[in-house]
Amino acid sequence: MMKTLLDIIVKLGSVDRRVIFLIIALVVFLPLIFPVGLTIKPTDTTRRSFEAVDELKEGDNFLMSFEYGPSTKPEVNPMAVAVLNHAFRKNLRVYITCLWPDGQFMAQDVLAEVLPDYDKVYGEDYVLLGYRPGNEAVVKGIESNIKGLYTVDYANTLIDEIPMMQDVNSLSDIDMVFSFSAGYPGTVEWVQYGCDPAGVKLSTGVASIQVNEILPYENAGQVLGIIAGMPGAAEYETMIGKKGFGTSGMDAQSVAHLVIVLFIVLGNATYFIERKRSQKTY
Amino acid sequence: MLKRQIPLAIVFLTGMATLFGWFVDNVVFETFVNDTATQWFDIIASFAMILGSLNLLRVQGEKVLRRKRNWIYSIFAIGGFFFSITVGFLFRGANYVEISDLGPNQGAISEVIASAENIDPKIAAVTLSLVEENEVFEVSRIFITESGAKQLVDDLNANGAKAEFKSKTWGGHILEKGTLFNWMFVYLFTPLSATMFALLAFFVASASYRAFRIRNFEATLLLISGIIIMVGRVPLGSLISPWFVLYLIVLGGGIVSNSYFKDVKRTFQITTGGILVVTIAGFIAGWSPDSIYFLSFPVLQEWIYSVPNIAGSRAIMIGIALGMVGTSLRIILGIEKSFLGE
Repeated sequence: MMKTLLDIIVKLGSVDRRVIFLIIALVVFLPLIFPVGLTIKPTDTTRRSFEAVDELKEGDNFLMSFEYGPSTKPEVNPMAVAVLNHAFRKNLRVYITCLWPDGQFMAQDVLAEVLPDYDKVYGEDYVLLGYRPGNEAVVKGIESNIKGLYTVDYANTLIDEIPMMQDVNSLSDIDMVFSFSAGYPGTVEWVQYGCDPAGVKLSTGVASIQVNEILPYENAGQVLGIIAGMPGAAEYETMIGKKGFGTSGMDAQSVAHLVIVLFIVLGNATYFIERKRSQKTY
Repeated sequence: MLKRQIPLAIVFLTGMATLFGWFVDNVVFETFVNDTATQWFDIIASFAMILGSLNLLRVQGEKVLRRKRNWIYSIFAIGGFFFSITVGFLFRGANYVEISDLGPNQGAISEVIASAENIDPKIAAVTLSLVEENEVFEVSRIFITESGAKQLVDDLNANGAKAEFKSKTWGGHILEKGTLFNWMFVYLFTPLSATMFALLAFFVASASYRAFRIRNFEATLLLISGIIIMVGRVPLGSLISPWFVLYLIVLGGGIVSNSYFKDVKRTFQITTGGILVVTIAGFIAGWSPDSIYFLSFPVLQEWIYSVPNIAGSRAIMIGIALGMVGTSLRIILGIEKSFLGE
């Protein structure tokens, strides 16, 4: 009986990796079609991000920076949508910059998704400044002289012709920065070259893989909060009461993580059984 | 002299000026760091992009010419490069139709527009009814080819309207939906990038299955932390009772005792004793998760993130920062000359 059970475990342990790929595909795909609706509880880091935006007053200047591309879009885009919704609800004046060339397309997508729900006027309530090459030098340029760096917006409109740019000359005229980042240049550059020198509040939404890198800054108070990966996006969506792609992706991610853990347990069980058997052979 | 001393002098002066800008309260240095130097950097970065593109062509071209390993993929890289250059700088692929006069037959016009934009003719009719006299109406559909736009113009003019086709301005052709550049970004670049990243999930699953083994103490720590993070980060983790985690700890204790004492009897006693203690404690506490909430997966993962993880990250960051200070000083003082090709 015991031997049969061990044989089954060993057999499962030597399963072809294509079968694993198929199982992973299924466990990601099925919850997306048949959502379970797991309860989402906001973590402290997400709550602090939310509170930082929530504390801003109507008409405050809020800069959102897009530092991600299509590869990390499923993770970062939902948080950008949620934060922009939050900002528009609070009637903040939203300034959008991009440190990544494809960030501009991401920003346009987010605006296209959120704008239909609000009556916002371009140039008065929000502005898309677009992408500039130069990585951290762009952050430094924004910190010292925005109009020197951005002489025109993304659509080549002269910056002096945009009403909401009249009283904004440097980062110190911005009340809070929110960076949506998936790597370099991103949140770290905003801390080092922008928000720390200018003394401006910074919060961030990052891809899961980048959380480790940002946590020390959050712990030191240089970053007010972190929306960490898709779970963070789902938590933010819960807090603003508007469910989106982050929430719908949580079921799939939950089940996928659980299946990976089961694979690890199974792999180790096989490893120990085989080791024991090989010891007996010798 | 020209090749060595002048570049070294430029690096020394620029480096020192930038360094002083952070520490000296002087307007000249501050302006240099905050404004002039950053604008120089922007200009140089723009040129670096051109150099980077040329380098990509050189490396991939060399691979194809010398038939190096996987040279066939380089053809796609070069093809993709020239396609991007073409749709970005040479061919706009962003034609649209403007109607200056809708003419007497607006019903037919709205049907032509509805067919072109793939919308309900009623919606097109409502949209057209809002157009004021002498107002120029722009059909929202973008045509990649001129012939497509010309066909629509012919259809509209045949129904009594006055229409002509135009091209979006340079720069505008990148931003508008439906242009060739936008098509490339949405239908080529986005799915390819997303696919590459999504493949990670499959490789992580396969690799964790084969490589995450309890071989030694360090591997065990890594494994346990990994599992706690994976389960604790997702909503499913908060559904798992901390009492279940406590049972897992007891079982873990049994494994440790077995490895240490190598005595089945003692392992059985420790494990059974532990299970009994947890069960009795559970009954006394009414299995309330709040009584031992500190053992729940979300709390454990938060602790791993914010204590050992931050300690390790800080150590690495401080090490990198010290290394950067050292390397920067070597470059400023002319000790490190690799940027000169030496």
